[in-house]
Amino acid sequence: MSRALKYFLVVVALVAALAPVYWMFTISLKSEVDHFALPPPWFNFTPTLEHYFEAFVARSFGQYLITSAIVAVISTLCALVLGTLAAYALARFRLPYDLDRRLSLWILSTRMFPAIVTAVPLFLMMRDLRLLDTKASLIIVYTAFNLPFVVWMMRGFFDEVPRDLEEAALVDGDSRLGALVRVVLPLVAPGLAATAVFCLIVSWNEFLFALVLTQTDASMTLPVGIAGRVTQYEIKWGVMSAAGAVAIVPILVFAMAMQKYLVRGLSLGAVKG
Amino acid sequence: MGIKFQNVTKAFGDTLVVDDLSLEIADGEFVVLLGPSGCGKTTTLRMLAGLETITTGDVYIGGERINDVQTQHRDLAMVFQSYALYPHMTIAENIAYPLRVRKLDKPERTKRVTSVARMLEIESLLDRKPRQLSGGERQRVALARAIVREPRAYLMDEPLSNLDARLRVQMRGELKRLQHQLGTTTIYVTHDQAEAMTLATRVAVMSRGRLQQFDTPLNIYNRPANRFVAEFVGSPSMNFIDGKIESGAFVSESIRIPVTRENADQLTIGIRPEHISVLTEPQNNATPATVYVTELMGNETFVFLSVGTNKLIARAAADFRAELESPVWLRIDAEKAHYFDRQTGLSI
Amino acid sequence: MRRKVLLRSSWLPYVLIAPAVAVLVALSIYPLIYSITVSLQVGEAWGLGNFTRLASDGFFLTAMAHTFVYAVAALTCEFLLGLGLALLLNNQIRGRGFFRATLLVPMMLPPVVAAVVWRLMLNPNFGAINGTLKQIGIDTESLTWTASPGLAMLSVIAVDVWQWTPFVFLVLLAGLQAIPQEPYEAALIDGSSRWQTFRHVTLPLLKPAILIVLLLRTMDLLRVFDQIFLLTEGGPGFATETISLYIYRTAFRFFDFGYAAAMSFVLLALTNVISVVYIRFLKHESRA
Repeated sequence: MSRALKYFLVVVALVAALAPVYWMFTISLKSEVDHFALPPPWFNFTPTLEHYFEAFVARSFGQYLITSAIVAVISTLCALVLGTLAAYALARFRLPYDLDRRLSLWILSTRMFPAIVTAVPLFLMMRDLRLLDTKASLIIVYTAFNLPFVVWMMRGFFDEVPRDLEEAALVDGDSRLGALVRVVLPLVAPGLAATAVFCLIVSWNEFLFALVLTQTDASMTLPVGIAGRVTQYEIKWGVMSAAGAVAIVPILVFAMAMQKYLVRGLSLGAVKG
Repeated sequence: MGIKFQNVTKAFGDTLVVDDLSLEIADGEFVVLLGPSGCGKTTTLRMLAGLETITTGDVYIGGERINDVQTQHRDLAMVFQSYALYPHMTIAENIAYPLRVRKLDKPERTKRVTSVARMLEIESLLDRKPRQLSGGERQRVALARAIVREPRAYLMDEPLSNLDARLRVQMRGELKRLQHQLGTTTIYVTHDQAEAMTLATRVAVMSRGRLQQFDTPLNIYNRPANRFVAEFVGSPSMNFIDGKIESGAFVSESIRIPVTRENADQLTIGIRPEHISVLTEPQNNATPATVYVTELMGNETFVFLSVGTNKLIARAAADFRAELESPVWLRIDAEKAHYFDRQTGLSI
Repeated sequence: MRRKVLLRSSWLPYVLIAPAVAVLVALSIYPLIYSITVSLQVGEAWGLGNFTRLASDGFFLTAMAHTFVYAVAALTCEFLLGLGLALLLNNQIRGRGFFRATLLVPMMLPPVVAAVVWRLMLNPNFGAINGTLKQIGIDTESLTWTASPGLAMLSVIAVDVWQWTPFVFLVLLAGLQAIPQEPYEAALIDGSSRWQTFRHVTLPLLKPAILIVLLLRTMDLLRVFDQIFLLTEGGPGFATETISLYIYRTAFRFFDFGYAAAMSFVLLALTNVISVVYIRFLKHESRA
């Protein structure tokens, strides 16, 4: 296959991937009149920020944005702490009855559950605990959601640090905890960062649990807010696009930063990108 | 400080990796644990370091029983086979690490690091990271980290095995001088018998978890306690022939060597290559043999010989030449021969 | 090789693992158990009524059928396209890093936003698709995409393919690049053709990556919810209702939690079986 053809196909793929997203950005910046113009203008239109203003100032998207951020950050932190400790234990210790391998696999399997399967009982549980429609319920659920991933990924990263280094640190006179902090953690720091970003992205994008567990503006996340505007009868495309555009930006920034570990994270460590 | 192993055993599940090891090492000695892979030498070292639990038996450092003392409190220094340098720290930080965890202040740390770096000639490397260093340089950094502390003893796990041959020989000499200078007890693990012979004050030969012999290098070479030790030490290795002694001669197939020993059955005779002379003319009492192959080493020649069903190796002069399959005659120095019981392998 | 265990802390690993396990048990296992009890309640009484109802529920069976059609169609397209792209980009095209980075945009989007994007694109009146088609003279009167019973399923499948082909591409590309050069060189010397090399060298060595990708995508496709919810809400009518949507509707529109729970278990059992089959294949491969 000639190189020119290859480049052409690649460009086609690129356009196919990016054009729709670009389209959404244009809708968010076009006035309502331009929305319905025919032929639809891809490039020549006068941009306006009225939709952004309406979404984030007039309506509650600003609040949704903050809620999404809070829930994502806190649940990621919790998942990281709990998951990394567990991952360290599973990577470094051999437990009886092959428990470390079994636990790892079990933890992974919880990641494979269809969300709806736990969403229904969690709704009932949260209702009984009077935690419906709170940020707390989302934080708890997202922590549990991200935990298997953190354990699985961090275990892989810990496995890559040679045991020699910790043994050397111990013989040199450091305590277990000291060796972990001074020797091991700096070496898994990039992996930790990548895992954190993945968790942030997953929490930020999550929809089903947020939909089920929240009811009012006070606790709704950005995806739920966007969906809400659609299932109303009057669809304000501009507002929705503006919200969508803002929802994407942090993701793109983070994903670009974490490129190196992307494939590894997506394939749960099976393929090292 | 002196170190003592008393009936130490290490089991992994049902496998005995170290079997009833008893060893007393005096203060300032350079003891080498020598043996093939899987013989338990590294496990012994790691038990001493506190990186493996001791199944049964006791280990003492300077008279103190250290079985239950945690690794970080044993005050030993270890040089790992892989050097185990901390990749994210500079060389200076690597060397300073043991001092840092002992909470020495910065000026003191810098002083010690610099003096050790000077001793090992790595001063110019102090600001680099491990990955920027060559194998030999990393090895010296690992050493520096060990000696910066002045511990009770040095433990070394095959520290030279990752170096190329020439560097290995050079570092061997450096290590010996260094240890002599510092005077600290050193326990050194290796499978390379040349290292053991050149470095050690005493060698502990191990096989399959059991101690075979613990003696000075010279004694190990000249008075091996059993066939294993005799075969393992010395390169090229000792020649062995099974046979018996009758009427003042050792006989086996076509071989007949006059010896001054009593009759005995079930014997194996061991002869070092340097004690076999290869002659191109027949002589009295010389054993006939055929040349299998010759290896010209430059300063000497190794001659591989077939004698009946036996294969022997002899050392010959540098200018020795012979055709393959050509007949030769061997004169064996019976005085220097060793005898082993064929069943037990023990020296007789 | 024996695992070297750092000693003397026989309780430490358990202490480190316990909190994570506790959270998971409370929020993954306990809900399942709770769900069992809920599913066994029909109205006020206990019984298997919810489960027996499944067999005769036309909607349930249709939703399952939809889910399968969706999964198979999307998986096939994504796999073929992703593999093709990966093979294409495997050979040193300059700027590959840039291509990789931009191609991953679709899959990083919140599925909800992807749905918004495509609702905008597919809008019959002002969407870019119909707009462009009209420009080149195609009559788009009947192309109502997400509102058309005939085209709705196609539309949602297309959206999924758009969003997730990059994922397949990325993982397969990484798998391809992990294949060492030697087997290719050996095949060349042996005189193998391009197709033969692909079949006998590339494909077998790519199997682990392929299996992982298929496993992960299958799991995701079977439980799809977000984008369909926003694109069509399962409609028009019931045309794109997948099993997750049906369960959601049963629980949160009709408030029939028992029945919804029963259906969840069927879904769970299904995904379990499929993942076990895949994992067995994976183990088989990694051993070979």
